[in-house]
Amino acid sequence: MNRLDYVVLIATILAIPIYGLWRTRGRASLRQYLKGDASIGWATIGLSVLATQAGPITFLSMPGQAYESGIGFIQNYFGQPLALIVVCAIFVPIYQRLKVYTAYQYLGQRFDRKTQLLGAFLFLVQRGLAAGITIYAPAIVLSALLGWRLNLTIWLAGGLVMIYTVAGGTKVVSITQRYQMIVILVGMAIAFAVAVYRLSPDLSFESTLSVAGKMGKLEAVSFSVDPHKRYTFWSGVIGGFFLALSYFGADQSQVQRYLAGGSLKESRLGLLFNAAVKVPMQFFILLLGAIVFMFYQFEKPPVYFNQPAYQRAAENGYATQLAALQTQFDDVFAQKRAAIRAVSSALPDQRDMAMARLHELEAQARDLRDQTKTVLVQAGVDPKSKESDYVFITFILQQMPHGIVGLLIAVILCATMSATAAALNALGTTTAVDFYRPLIRPNASDHHYVIAAKALTAAWGFVAIAVASFASLVENLIEAGNILGSVFYGSILGLFLAAFFIRGVTGSAVFFAAIIAQALVFILFGMTNIGYLWYNFIGCAAVLIVAPVLQQTIFRSTKAPAGV
Amino acid sequence: MNSGDPNADNTSWPKAYTVALSIFTVEIVLLYLFTLRFS
Repeated sequence: MNRLDYVVLIATILAIPIYGLWRTRGRASLRQYLKGDASIGWATIGLSVLATQAGPITFLSMPGQAYESGIGFIQNYFGQPLALIVVCAIFVPIYQRLKVYTAYQYLGQRFDRKTQLLGAFLFLVQRGLAAGITIYAPAIVLSALLGWRLNLTIWLAGGLVMIYTVAGGTKVVSITQRYQMIVILVGMAIAFAVAVYRLSPDLSFESTLSVAGKMGKLEAVSFSVDPHKRYTFWSGVIGGFFLALSYFGADQSQVQRYLAGGSLKESRLGLLFNAAVKVPMQFFILLLGAIVFMFYQFEKPPVYFNQPAYQRAAENGYATQLAALQTQFDDVFAQKRAAIRAVSSALPDQRDMAMARLHELEAQARDLRDQTKTVLVQAGVDPKSKESDYVFITFILQQMPHGIVGLLIAVILCATMSATAAALNALGTTTAVDFYRPLIRPNASDHHYVIAAKALTAAWGFVAIAVASFASLVENLIEAGNILGSVFYGSILGLFLAAFFIRGVTGSAVFFAAIIAQALVFILFGMTNIGYLWYNFIGCAAVLIVAPVLQQTIFRSTKAPAGV
Repeated sequence: MNSGDPNADNTSWPKAYTVALSIFTVEIVLLYLFTLRFS
């Protein structure tokens, strides 16, 4: 990175919060602080919802995921448009009609206080930890590659978000997310164009895609029913539907985004905008990873993309072993480049043989990367993040022109800031509305609650930074974030679906059903190794099955209140 | 709610959901055609 990159980076990440704070200057009422004002339209809501979900992992890890395993991950998003339609039709009208600040207030009105507190508590635990991981994940990669101090990176990213979120509340989060998302979309479009431009002139773009497809990188849709296949249309539509329904319907960090809408119509249009653009957006990000993969078939990549870890291992006395692996890798790379040219120019009857040779060489290259990782572990520099997380950022730093490098680092930091701001805003709001106001100071002034919400948002900012500072204890960060959500979301979704669809059930039955469901998920998580996406379904199903049973047995004498 | 109400919502939501569902279906079909073409 040179001076121009730093100017672009600093200007981008500071200008948006400063503009947001200027737009939201002045004293706000509690309603304005927690829900914005009625002027927020569907476009801002749509971009804000998109930015809340995207996060830094989407832009840092997703291209690396496609580089490693192809674009099949896109199928994980197939349940989302369906879930968003259900949220528009069922969840949003109820929240808007009841004029709630948090989703969990609805549980309090439909059931009782303890069920509201349970839903809010599960959210706080899950989102508080996830906010720390959102800050830590890009900080570890950027600090390693750019030589920034890790703790300083965490404090700068977390501290800046904390300042503007505390000062401006929901409206500043929505406004900044709108412009941060525009920067992200423009940055990624430029990265895509430069990556295509930098592809080898030896092959046309279509031939490049054709070879990438033959190397297994472009299978976007698979209707396979093989349970061992990780990403399929079916797992995406079913598992992805439950995950997205919990996330958009019952996670306050998203609920608060669309409740900021001036009307039910604006909220719904913002969500439907997401239903339409999410799959294409993820497709282009994953395709970018496949294009970077093809770029590195002609331009020699490092044997191991996490170069800081590689260098430390070399300094720890493993330089000879690593140099030998690099030499073998370079030899395989040269053969592979020749094999790709052979595949693209082969006659139809020779193509299978040429492809078999290419696959053989690709397996050798993969094996050499695995051996390098083993050496790194032996050298005591066991990398805490996946190697594939370093692929796209290495491509940015080495292949993009100056200025664009700064813009793309700003994209990653904008994604971190927008996702963290939404999380802190929701955590502060939930603690203030669901815990502080009813349990500690029930009859204080409007201004008192604004101050309390600000203090609690700041407190959650410190919690997120503390979690980020200790996150190095977690082995695989991206998996950790996904697992964390899946472990808690099932029970939370179960509470909401029981509220919507099981008429005769009371708060006590649902409360204990959710505790049993959460305990069941914890046991399964500790004792089995089933795919984590299933926890969403299991937790939710357990609440919906156990609650009516408890109602008909232990709580038979308790009557459900009139429907809300 | 009358026609002069700024919050009036005359949108036909079932139609809007059908449009969203149709866009999603077209996206899946295009992705599948992409897979057939390049895999």
